[in-house]
Amino acid sequence: MPGIADTAARGRANATARETRPGPRRSKPTQSLAHRVWSHRRTVLAFVLVLGAVAISVVPYLWMVLSSLRTMTNMFSVPIQWIPNPVNWRSYVLAWHAQDFPRYFFNSGVVAVAITLGNLLLCSLAGYSLAKFRYFGRGLLFVLILSTMMLPLEVTMVPLFLIIKRFDWVNSYQGLIVPFLVDGFGVFLMRQFMLGIPKDLIDSARIDGASELRIFFQIVLPLCKPALVALGVFTFREAWDMYIWPLIIVSKDSLRTLPLGISLFMSSYGTAWDQLMAIAVLGTLPMILLFFFLQRAFIQGIAVTGLKE
Amino acid sequence: MSSAVHAEPAMTLRRRRLHLGTATKQAAFGYAILLPTLAILFIFRFLPMIEAFVIAFSKYDLIHPARFVGFANFVDLIHDPLFRNSARISLIYVVCSVLPVWPLSLGLAVLFNQSLFLKNVLRSAVFMPVVMPAVVMAVVWTFMYQQDGVLNTALGWFGIDPVPWLRSSSTALPAVILIGIWRATPYYMVIFLAGLQAIPTEYYEAAEIDGASRWAMFRDITLPLLKPTSLLVMVMTVIVAMKVFAVPMIMTGGGPSDSTRVLPLFIYQTAFEFFDMGRAAAMSVFLFVAVMLFSVAQIRIFTRGED
Repeated sequence: MPGIADTAARGRANATARETRPGPRRSKPTQSLAHRVWSHRRTVLAFVLVLGAVAISVVPYLWMVLSSLRTMTNMFSVPIQWIPNPVNWRSYVLAWHAQDFPRYFFNSGVVAVAITLGNLLLCSLAGYSLAKFRYFGRGLLFVLILSTMMLPLEVTMVPLFLIIKRFDWVNSYQGLIVPFLVDGFGVFLMRQFMLGIPKDLIDSARIDGASELRIFFQIVLPLCKPALVALGVFTFREAWDMYIWPLIIVSKDSLRTLPLGISLFMSSYGTAWDQLMAIAVLGTLPMILLFFFLQRAFIQGIAVTGLKE
Repeated sequence: MSSAVHAEPAMTLRRRRLHLGTATKQAAFGYAILLPTLAILFIFRFLPMIEAFVIAFSKYDLIHPARFVGFANFVDLIHDPLFRNSARISLIYVVCSVLPVWPLSLGLAVLFNQSLFLKNVLRSAVFMPVVMPAVVMAVVWTFMYQQDGVLNTALGWFGIDPVPWLRSSSTALPAVILIGIWRATPYYMVIFLAGLQAIPTEYYEAAEIDGASRWAMFRDITLPLLKPTSLLVMVMTVIVAMKVFAVPMIMTGGGPSDSTRVLPLFIYQTAFEFFDMGRAAAMSVFLFVAVMLFSVAQIRIFTRGED
């Protein structure tokens, strides 16, 4: 455990600097357990605090999964029935068929994938333009694009709905997708990343006679892979999560996305907690899988929202 | 002879013209690939913002044609106790959900910025609330907040009486705020962690040699160097808190007795349940100004100390 050794070394230097000295024996291998704990007390304390945070973060998940498998008769039993007995797999089957959840999953998938692909393409095209081309008004356009980050949907939803209505896009996939195909922050992110790509690389490809589009797709985009993965995961998560906008423009059941389906299920089956938790588990599963396989990108996608110009 | 003398300038001119040609072509390409983004942002971001100001000055119910009413919507809002209550709820939500998140997320980030047994696994575990979709979160927490739910059972272990959580107007808002904190803390922990990792370790090494205490190092190295990140987190948390919608919408629908009717929820209900577009747009303008003021004011306060 080199990690702990590091901290211990730091802690030791610290302890020496102040006058708290747990005793000279602490570096010897024959020290007692209590002594070892004491000399690593900072690490131990940090570990305990972190474990507390882990518990708070994970318990709702655990409770969701366990409750989905518990029968309704045991749902609120005292004392708490931690391990479901009998295991209530039927809750999943019942919930899945209680409403058109396969359709809702499909809709959410279509919308989230389309929005993600759109953002990957348009944000990187716009970012490339702003980072590597010189033309009149570039600075102003960049500022305008950035300023859209200050116009949250909650502010613009009423007129946006009226515009979508004028397009006759209420109750349509276009209405769910097109307004979110590009995002000011995504453009900013891609621009920042592309500023780091050497201009010589692009110029030499030009001299070799490559077309501008080819340069973009074959040279620039592959170099942006880390940024693209982070942006992609971040966008997908936001799109999968989208609630207020579908709520406004979707009233047809065949177009409901999963969040709409779940909230509708809750208002109509409010006390069937086993089924509600089952559908909650299923609705979280895609995010869990995404997080499991693309953990770095998932966290990176959020870390970069803390980027400053 | 003379043609040879003239040959060079002519060539330079041609070369320059050729160069100009490619520069224009490149600029055209630059514009062209920016165009789809500009079009979408203009139609679906700027146009609605402009229109929000127009609608805010009209009476419009989606059926009858809109009619200009001047400042009537704004005047009505100021005198509307429901709106004032909603603005107050939003203010309480913002303050109470944001203030704990700053120290909590920074504290967690500091804990994770040192070596720790099983650090990566633990960090992923702490991050889990961010992974859960907002709607799922609302459903799961509603379940845990039930009168005979797990939270009250757990409180019972410590001899605390059951809390009515979402059923009482005095506890519903704190219950909603609690979830906001649960969700936001790991999110901003990640951002703080990125900020902490950007601080060169040399500073700490030098301070250690000088015999600085951990607290002194935190106060005199970490906090000042984390200033840009902190500002960002402050602005982001406030703006995100101002926009909260899904959780109160699903968990309480604004109740009981309006105690969780935050501004975005009230805007939504005014527009899409009562079809008073003008008043909803006026509230949007109010929310917009609040969002703007906050980000601008915080950036000002922050940069004042520098240089």
